[in-house]
Amino acid sequence: MNCYLYDGTADGLLSAIAWILEEEPDPEKVKLSERKDTLFEEGFTISTDATQAESLFFRLKQQAPDAAHTLYSFMLAEKEGLETSLLHYVFLAFKHGDKVNGYITHSAVRDIVHIAKKTGRELHRMKGLLRFEKLQDGAYLAKMEPDYNIIHPLAFHFSRRLRAQHWFLYDVKRRTAARWNNGSLQFGGIEQFTTPALSEDEKKVQALWLAFFKTIAIPDRKNPRLQKSNMPMKYWKYLVEKQEE
Amino acid sequence: MLTKLQILSGAARYDASCASSGSKREGPSTGTGNTSSSGICHSWSDDGRCISLLKILLSNDCIYDCAYCVNRSTNPVERASFTAREVVDLTLEFYRRNYIEGLFLSSAVMKSPDHTMECMVRVAETLRTEEQFGGYIHMKIIPGCNSELVRKAGLYADRISVNIELPSQASLQRLAPQKLKSAILEPMALIGREISSSLVERKASRKAPRFAPAGQSTQMIIGASPETDFQILSLSQGLYKKMNLKRVYYSAYVPVTDDSRLPVLSAPPLLREHRLYQADWLLRFYGFTADEILSDDAPHLDETFDPKTAWALRHPEFFPVEVNRADYATLLRVPGIGVLSAKRIVSARRFSLITPDGLKKIGVVIKRAKYFITCSGKSFEKPDQQPALIRQRLLLSERTDASVSTISHQLVLPGLYT
Ligand code: SF4
Repeated sequence: MNCYLYDGTADGLLSAIAWILEEEPDPEKVKLSERKDTLFEEGFTISTDATQAESLFFRLKQQAPDAAHTLYSFMLAEKEGLETSLLHYVFLAFKHGDKVNGYITHSAVRDIVHIAKKTGRELHRMKGLLRFEKLQDGAYLAKMEPDYNIIHPLAFHFSRRLRAQHWFLYDVKRRTAARWNNGSLQFGGIEQFTTPALSEDEKKVQALWLAFFKTIAIPDRKNPRLQKSNMPMKYWKYLVEKQEE
Repeated sequence: MLTKLQILSGAARYDASCASSGSKREGPSTGTGNTSSSGICHSWSDDGRCISLLKILLSNDCIYDCAYCVNRSTNPVERASFTAREVVDLTLEFYRRNYIEGLFLSSAVMKSPDHTMECMVRVAETLRTEEQFGGYIHMKIIPGCNSELVRKAGLYADRISVNIELPSQASLQRLAPQKLKSAILEPMALIGREISSSLVERKASRKAPRFAPAGQSTQMIIGASPETDFQILSLSQGLYKKMNLKRVYYSAYVPVTDDSRLPVLSAPPLLREHRLYQADWLLRFYGFTADEILSDDAPHLDETFDPKTAWALRHPEFFPVEVNRADYATLLRVPGIGVLSAKRIVSARRFSLITPDGLKKIGVVIKRAKYFITCSGKSFEKPDQQPALIRQRLLLSERTDASVSTISHQLVLPGLYT
């Protein structure tokens, strides 16, 4: 069995897959992993080529748009150790087209689809659970600590939704931020973050929301267990309605 | 403002419908908001229900006197009304902070149906035209208002609904004497017609106005009047077929007032509500008809078994179903196989025969399905089991986790994500 290595970046991973699909007669018999430069590491390192990576993704998008979406969602998880599964998945996606996601009896497909679903679920959740606060200068800021690196697709979602506002998303753990202003979206890192002052009416609006949140629940049907399973506690930190708990 | 909001959102609390899906709208380029076809929950309230819309009444100051309602004119509760501007501002402030998908506006009847509906339409109109709001709007139609207002509401809202309130005319007359059946059914029919003609016009030209793109729904109260489940389901089936309704919501009657016309219930009939939702799913997604599920001789849904399992137990001749051959419609009839797993089975079969292990991975609930299927000719259980025996076995296996599942089932509204 042939073993290959790549440099650990997303581009490296995709260009390695592109190379293997091109050169190997039977990609399902090939292993791919990250190069760690340990003593007993075996395998041939494939060099990283961003255009190769991009062209692979582009071709997949044309032939199997659903599978390309799965690949994209999977990459957001920044998951290590599943490179071989991803290779096999992409191979099968080119072979079967979008039907590949139905092939869940295949372990590689199952692994990739499973992770992709998880990031997809968190992205969908954050679309609802993200909370903006109005700042003194009229801009809006939302802080978050998602498990996966979803700031890109999330910012894209809000760029179509809150177009008339000037806003920021800030991923506290990864120290990355997105900014939307006057119709343009930018991404960048933030070295030092100081929380800016809130606008004067912000606390009033938050109090109204909290009041609404409390009254809308049916008193006799309290169900904290169900609430937590739908809205896990790890997301509470930035929820206006969950601050007192 | 704070107390007003508390009164008027508290009054809207029992409304079942929270769905914000089914409409896809790219917002105006200069404005705020769009809607997404899959629907987004923004929070979950203390009772575990999804919050996606700012659900409020414009007013609870009612001139009518419906027996089952807290806001009836003869009931001494605190009264409040919003101005149109207040609702508009509240909606926008919440939307900009990503608290909500949009607005769900209903109201008690203040002064007259026309006056109330006019105020509600003004809210929607201001949001859409002045504020360029592209988020979701669901509006209730006040029975008895002018049909011009109904048309206007449909042009601004994503979804509109007229509550059918009670499952029969006799009950309506007894408990809500000021509401006429015709005042409820006429706007429903009008909305149904407008929706389909707007769809036709939009096929011809993308510029034609959209009329309630997320469709119309309705709601009825369960357990405040004597109708059987069979009557209720037949009514729903008619509404889906004849009025083009998207959803019928069932709301277990919560005793809020003392009235000799109302039944005395120890608790709201939540299990019944839950079973009706399940049966409603069978109507909409599983190809069942009302008279397959129930009949005049057995007019009530089974309490112990969900309606699909109950049907399967009454029809041993239909089973076992061979999972590697049966078509989609047949797979759907198997207890333990849902829409998703039926679809997965059909697509997984393209690659290889499905094994019992594969079925598990696909998400089939084996402990329920095993009595009703074969897998490449092999059965999971002895093939000649009597229905009575299966009943018992199913009961036993359900028991073990019944305490956990029933509680959550009763509160989750199925279809939140459809
Ligand atoms: S019209 Fe509506 S708000 Fe008024 S009493 Fe009847 S149900 Fe209640």
